[in-house]
Amino acid sequence: MRQIVSKAVRTRGGKAGLGSLAAFVVLALAAAGCGSSSPTTNKSSGTTTGHAGGTFTILANSAFGVADPAQNYTLEEWQLLIDSHDGLVTFAKVAGVAGTKIVPDLATSIPTPTNGGKTYVFNIRRGIKFSNGQTLKPSDFVTTFERQFTVPGPTSFYSGIVGASSCSTKGCNLAKSGGVVANNSNYTLTINLTAPDPELMDQLSLPFADVVPAGTSLKLTGNNVPPGTGPYMWKSYNPNTEAVLVRNPYFHVWNTVAQPAGNPNEIIEKYGLQVSSEVTQVLNGQADEVFDGDSIPSDQLTTLNSSQYTSQVHVNTLTADYYMALNTTRAPFNNLDARQAINYAANRAAYVKIYGGSSLAVPACQILPPNFPSYKPFCPYTSGAQTVWSGPDLTKAKALVKASGTAGQKVVVDSTNDQVGTALAEQMVSDLNAIGYKASTQLLTAANQYPYIQNSANAGTWNIAYSAWFQDYPAPSDFLNVLLGCGTIHKNSDASPNIAEFCDPAIQKLINEAEADEATNPSQAASLWTQVDHMDTQQAAWVDLFNPKQIDVLAKTVQGYKWNPQWYILIDQLWLNK
Amino acid sequence: MLTFIVRRTLWTVVVMFVITVLVFFIFFKTPGVDPARAIAGRNPSPQVLAEVRAQLGLNRPLWVQYGVMMKKIFITRDLVSYSNQGTRVVQEIFAAAPATLSLVFGASLIWIVMALVMGVAAAQLRGRIYDPILMILALIGVSTPVFWLGQVVNLITQSSLHSNVFKWLPPLGYTSFTTSPLLWFEGLIFPWITLSILYIGFYARVLRANLLEIQNEDYIRTARAKGLSERRVLVRHSLRTSMITFVSLFGLDFGALVGGGAILTEVVYGIHGVGFLTYQSLTNLDLPTIIAVVIYGAFFIVLANALVDIGYAWLDPRVRPT
Amino acid sequence: MAAVAEQVSVPGLRPATAGRNPWALAWRRLRRNRIALAALVLFLLIVVLSLAAPLYAHDIAHDGNVLSPNLNGTTLVHGKLTPVMQQGGGVLKLGEAPIGPTWDLSHYFLGADGIGRDVAGLLLYGGRASLQIGVSSAVICCVVATLVALVAGFFGGLTDTILSRLMDIIWAFPVYLLAISIATVLLTKSTGIQVGFLHVSATSLWTPTVIIGFIYVPYVYRPVRGQVLSVVNKEFVEAAIAQGASNVRLIFSEILPNVVSTVIVLMPLMIATTILTEAALSFLSVGVQPPNVSWGTIINNGQALLYTRPWVSLAPGIMIVLTVLSLNVLGDGVRDALDPRAKLRVG
Repeated sequence: MRQIVSKAVRTRGGKAGLGSLAAFVVLALAAAGCGSSSPTTNKSSGTTTGHAGGTFTILANSAFGVADPAQNYTLEEWQLLIDSHDGLVTFAKVAGVAGTKIVPDLATSIPTPTNGGKTYVFNIRRGIKFSNGQTLKPSDFVTTFERQFTVPGPTSFYSGIVGASSCSTKGCNLAKSGGVVANNSNYTLTINLTAPDPELMDQLSLPFADVVPAGTSLKLTGNNVPPGTGPYMWKSYNPNTEAVLVRNPYFHVWNTVAQPAGNPNEIIEKYGLQVSSEVTQVLNGQADEVFDGDSIPSDQLTTLNSSQYTSQVHVNTLTADYYMALNTTRAPFNNLDARQAINYAANRAAYVKIYGGSSLAVPACQILPPNFPSYKPFCPYTSGAQTVWSGPDLTKAKALVKASGTAGQKVVVDSTNDQVGTALAEQMVSDLNAIGYKASTQLLTAANQYPYIQNSANAGTWNIAYSAWFQDYPAPSDFLNVLLGCGTIHKNSDASPNIAEFCDPAIQKLINEAEADEATNPSQAASLWTQVDHMDTQQAAWVDLFNPKQIDVLAKTVQGYKWNPQWYILIDQLWLNK
Repeated sequence: MLTFIVRRTLWTVVVMFVITVLVFFIFFKTPGVDPARAIAGRNPSPQVLAEVRAQLGLNRPLWVQYGVMMKKIFITRDLVSYSNQGTRVVQEIFAAAPATLSLVFGASLIWIVMALVMGVAAAQLRGRIYDPILMILALIGVSTPVFWLGQVVNLITQSSLHSNVFKWLPPLGYTSFTTSPLLWFEGLIFPWITLSILYIGFYARVLRANLLEIQNEDYIRTARAKGLSERRVLVRHSLRTSMITFVSLFGLDFGALVGGGAILTEVVYGIHGVGFLTYQSLTNLDLPTIIAVVIYGAFFIVLANALVDIGYAWLDPRVRPT
Repeated sequence: MAAVAEQVSVPGLRPATAGRNPWALAWRRLRRNRIALAALVLFLLIVVLSLAAPLYAHDIAHDGNVLSPNLNGTTLVHGKLTPVMQQGGGVLKLGEAPIGPTWDLSHYFLGADGIGRDVAGLLLYGGRASLQIGVSSAVICCVVATLVALVAGFFGGLTDTILSRLMDIIWAFPVYLLAISIATVLLTKSTGIQVGFLHVSATSLWTPTVIIGFIYVPYVYRPVRGQVLSVVNKEFVEAAIAQGASNVRLIFSEILPNVVSTVIVLMPLMIATTILTEAALSFLSVGVQPPNVSWGTIINNGQALLYTRPWVSLAPGIMIVLTVLSLNVLGDGVRDALDPRAKLRVG
């Protein structure tokens, strides 16, 4: 019962699923005893060419939309972009926890900021060429950063650069404003910020900041991917048929942790297949990887349990939340007792089953997902006093509803109309009715629902809204400040990620302190974030449901599976044992 | 005839105008569909949103936007999808059309042949047990939801018997003829049958009723009186006259199906044709694609109408223009 | 859709002016038609079963609630307590499979759906929704179409042209496009629609009912208008005009009784069509909304379980086929009964 987590949500609603941090238990590998991707082999496969060759075919239900790296915000393209493009810095392209570490890529080292944390000087590597033969120069980065603003995209990541505020889709000159200054003779690039930003390195590691040649159009390149510096280059991309990546003849390894050589000679991603067909073809050996592991129909999931497939299926924990945001602007959930009541009543075991059972989701009470920085297990909403959820506490829930005086009120649960969304909403209705509310559903198409619930103009129509969040990069602010901070409430806008419209000045003060401490006193910041997480949880702006896991299904012949918490499966590190 | 076609075409343009305007209006009245939102990523600042909106022309009056969209469909043909700025809608429809055409052509071939056989057989066997049996079969065909039939077929061919009888069957989805004629054929066999069942039932009933009605017409009696064989009477006269209804119905159904009416069959079998595109654009609320698909569909309906009129004239000399 | 178009183009029923009561005659003819009678009995049986849904839910299988998820529930299989949802096996333990058919009437006879609900119970409740929507949208459609046709046919001229053109536009609108567009808009307004004093909430069964009823108005309008036109110039109408009857009286006392048989012939066929349309819309998730279920929504839910728990989709599909088939056969019977000498026997 976990069919059709709409791709639209991930690619367009912007819940771009990205990897995460920290101790990842690569469950399937351990369970299956598949030794091919243990850390020791990882190292060797990074540089070896012994496994090179062949065509690796990925099957996907739908394409990732527009291909321009300055606009695309999907894991689907990013998994390929990291093989064709490089930024100044990047998340280490290795398996496991080490993959959350940021390492220098086209920069020779990670610079220490000067000017009170506002100026960064990068030394750019020499002798690197783009796939079109052009030599990489520091000035290429200026264009790259200017494109962040001239091509409409999630520019808020880089809006802290000096001069960014005067950029628009019509034009941008960061060199003149002194925001991004290139020195092509001594190969340095200077980035100046208006204020210190402890997350700059995370943001520079995202593919938005991957370098493109200086001559690249400042307009949207549509479905053409500009040349990059990675081991592969884009031969073609057609969202209706396929994307083809071939080897970049100018590539050489400069930092094997940042950008190792790839194994397959060619990577093809085919679009437009039903997820069930993807699985069938991969199990039959007609293709190599299923992209849409999160929407495998339930009947097919159960067939994957067969022992003959054990070595082909990999399950990994994601740092993501599936949650129900409580509308704190109106009754009944402007009342803390009412919010806590539904948190006590929510039967998280049922939500987990909807998503495919305990091997694919873990019940959650708090905002930060496990294995995330500053995460300390905390679950006030469980029967019994524990730090992990074990069951609902209906007695407490009913008492709280009574105390709140909201019993008998009508409650609308807003969700998506795909199978998982509908089922989650129906379970929530049942949980609400059990504690005396009169609940009903409002189901919208996934493309519509995410913007709809963000807009305060629609807040009068719903009380609880289903949503999900996958980290952008491993920083607590990506959950706590983006989703529950006062600064992300934009009235009457479809882009207002604080869906609950929850704003607690005391908590916001702590968030601001934590952000300020991040550069100067990281351990203090970390403990502040933990505190914020627990306070938010106690204020119950959400009913956190569960943290999902990712399934990868590979063909029998595929070896070298590596799970990177930020990029998930590392495609070019796989090899074909044919 | 020409004036008729011109009039019909003009009227269709009016209808298309009304429909597109309605869709346009409904779209912009639906909360949560700001196209700029989809493009601007997941946490854009209000300024970025405003900029994207301006760039897309979304802050202009609705009628100007409507005009621009029409211009981009018909003149410059560079209308881009809201959900993917890199996808040109007109080209996307033309890319999807071969799948739909393959599906509908094959299915209509099956349904014409089968309906002719069943209809004629039932009419000839009137008064015997075969007639009601055939007609009940036809009614079952008419009464079966096509999407469910598709599922049942999938259940049998892709699962229950896939390991033996249907081992040759490729997984769901469409393979273009140019890629592999064999895969194209194998992948379409069951969609063809599924789509045609409803029409076989319906057309067989229409044909039978028509044939029975015509049997009492004077010219058929005359033909019989002239001593023509029953078969000759049937083929040369009855069937030919019955073909008028048959062909006009066929034209309209064919047009509607090619224009995206096979949506349920395409969805169940994962055939990425125009119907599937319609379904996708509706679930993604992608206005440019919706509008373009509507216009495309209407075009085929006009074309079908015109062809029906010509066919009518060819089959029935009484309406042949002089 | 053309199927409908043609079904309704059954032309020229005789005006009911024969000496003996034509309705009694028709009923007698229908009674003699054994196939049609069997279809009627089948249809009524399905209706009764569906109406008995609460009975089943309360007294046979459950404690009254079959429509809520039951993901953590258990049931008795061969006297053994068994969880309704069972975690996948093997090393990976992926997925949760609902219990399959037990063939035990009081314990998940047909198994459970993806969220642990009793498919047999859903089937009965789904039948209620499907039949209610099918019948009421067909009634709405026929009433509206007849009224518009009466006005258009009676007044003729510009009124007729405008109304007919309007109908043409609705006719030309792609059915699913219209339905999905309307449904999307309505669902975003929790306040629902307000038509005069009538209030329809977005998740109510009336939303798909009104949408479907509206879509098919032109399909009924065309033949009825034709019938009105053929009656309007008859002597008895002119006689009534000479007597100074008002327009309203003319329409409702003189013309309406003479077109009503056309509408009655169309009715079973329209119900068959609306039930199929409802199923298709629900299958595409824009028809019936939770907490209600219909046969279409059950099939939609069963999609992800098709290969391992096929009965979730098979059962409601079979119900749809039986219902629609019985209505179509009945429709044939009613037509033959009301108009035994109908020249063209179609659809």
